[in-house]
Amino acid sequence: MNIPNQPLNQRILKYLITVLIVVGSIWSASGLEITPDRIFSAPGKIWILISAMFPLDLSQEAIDRIVPKVAESLFIAWAGTVIGAIFSFPVSFLAANNVSLNSLSRITKQVLNIIRAFPELILAFVLLPITGLGPLTGTLAVGIHSIGTLGKLSSEVIEGIDEGPLESIKSSGGSKLNELFFGVVPQVMPTITSYWLYRFEINLRASAVLGVVGAGGVGAELINQLRFRDFPRAGTVLVVTIAMVLIVDTISASIRRRIIKGREIKV
Amino acid sequence: MTDTLFDPKWEWAFENASQALLETIQIAILASILGCFIALPLSFYASKATNQTTTTYIIYKSFLNFIRTIPDLFWAMLFTVAVGLGPFAGVLALVMFSMAIMGKLLSETIDSIDLGPLEAAKASGAKHNQAVFTSALPQILPNFTAYFLYIFELCIRASVILGLVGAGGVGRIIETQRIFLRFDRISPIIVLILLAVIAIEQFSVWLRRKIL
Repeated sequence: MNIPNQPLNQRILKYLITVLIVVGSIWSASGLEITPDRIFSAPGKIWILISAMFPLDLSQEAIDRIVPKVAESLFIAWAGTVIGAIFSFPVSFLAANNVSLNSLSRITKQVLNIIRAFPELILAFVLLPITGLGPLTGTLAVGIHSIGTLGKLSSEVIEGIDEGPLESIKSSGGSKLNELFFGVVPQVMPTITSYWLYRFEINLRASAVLGVVGAGGVGAELINQLRFRDFPRAGTVLVVTIAMVLIVDTISASIRRRIIKGREIKV
Repeated sequence: MTDTLFDPKWEWAFENASQALLETIQIAILASILGCFIALPLSFYASKATNQTTTTYIIYKSFLNFIRTIPDLFWAMLFTVAVGLGPFAGVLALVMFSMAIMGKLLSETIDSIDLGPLEAAKASGAKHNQAVFTSALPQILPNFTAYFLYIFELCIRASVILGLVGAGGVGRIIETQRIFLRFDRISPIIVLILLAVIAIEQFSVWLRRKIL
C-alpha cells in the first residue's frame, strides 16, 4: 500500500520554509562575519572564562557589596510589577472588546502595543535624563513595560470569559457595574493573578540587567567586575544572582500552580 | 538635557544607524534559528513522555532551567569577555536565550502529547528514536513553528539592547551617543527601532496566520 502524497502546495510551502531558513541564516552569518572556526573555537574560550571565575571571591567585603545590589534588583522587580498590576488592571477592561466600547478598545489596544514595543532598557534610557541615575528610573521602566504586557494578557483573559454569569446578573436587574464586579472579576482574577506573578519572574531578570545603563540593580556590579578583569568577584555576582532567581522562580511557580489548580481535595 | 530629546536629528540617524539596525536584525535571525534548532532535540530529552531514563531527564531539565535563570544581557557580557567585542558575542548570547525559552516551552508541550502513536510505532518494531521521530515530532511541529516565530520577535527586541555591552547591533550607537549626552541623536534612533520592531512583528503575525 502506498502512502498518499502530500498535496502539492503543502510540499512547496515546506521547501519554501526550508529555503527561507537556510538563506536567512547564511545571509545573517555572512553579514556578521561569523566563520566556522570562530564557532568551533568559542567553547574553549568560554571554558577559560568560567575556570577563571573559580574559586569564587567569598570575602566579607565582596558579599557586603554584592548582596544589597541583588536585593535592590529584587525590590525594583517587585515595585515595577506592582505598578504594572495596579495600572494594567483597569486598562485591561478598557481594552477588552466584550466589556468596553468597540472604538475605545481598539485605541487602548494600540496604546498598549506602543508601550510594549519599547524594551525596558530603552525605556530606562528615555527616563534617565528625567529621573536621573538610580533605582527609581529602573522601577519606572520596569513598571511601564509591565503595564503594556500585563494589559495585553489581562485583556485577552477578559475577552475569553463565559458570558453566562453576565447574562444572569443582567436578567436579575444588575447594572453594568454590577456585571463587571460580580460577573467578570471573579472569573478572571485567578488567571490574571498568575500572570502578575509570571511577570514578576520576567521583571526580575529585566531588573538584573538594568544596572548596565545606571538604572539600579546588580547589572552595574557585573559589568564593572568584568571590565576590571576581576573574574572571581564577577563569578560571585553571577552565582548570587542565579541563586536568587532560582529561589524566587520556585516560590512563584508553586504559588501560581496553587492559584490555577486550587487546593487539592482528597476524596 | 530633556529638550534635546525632543529635537531629533533625523538625517544623522538615517546615515549612521541603518547599517547597525540591519546588523541587529541579522543577529536576531541567526540566533533564533540556531537556538531553536539546538533546543529541538534537547527538549525531547527534557520531557518525561519521550525520555524514560530519570537521570538524563533530570540532567537535561535542570540544564535548561539553569540557562534560563541568567538574563540575556548577562550572557552578552560574559560572551563579550570570552570571544571578544562584536556581533558574534551577541549571537551566542541570544542563542542561549532562545534555547532556554524554546527548551522550556517545547518540553512542556511534549509532556502533553498523545502517547498512542508512539506506542503504535514501537509495537510495529520501531526503535525508541525512530518512534519519537515518526510519531512525536509531527505532533509538536505546529507548536514549534509558533514558538519559533514568538522567539524570533523576542530576539529582535533583545538584540536591540545587546550593543549596550558591546555585543553588536544598534545598541552600540545608542551607547556611544549616550556617553556624549547627545539625546537629540538617540531619540530618532529609538523611533527607528520602534518602527522596525513593529514592522517585523506585523510580518511575523501575518506569517503565523499563513502557516498555521
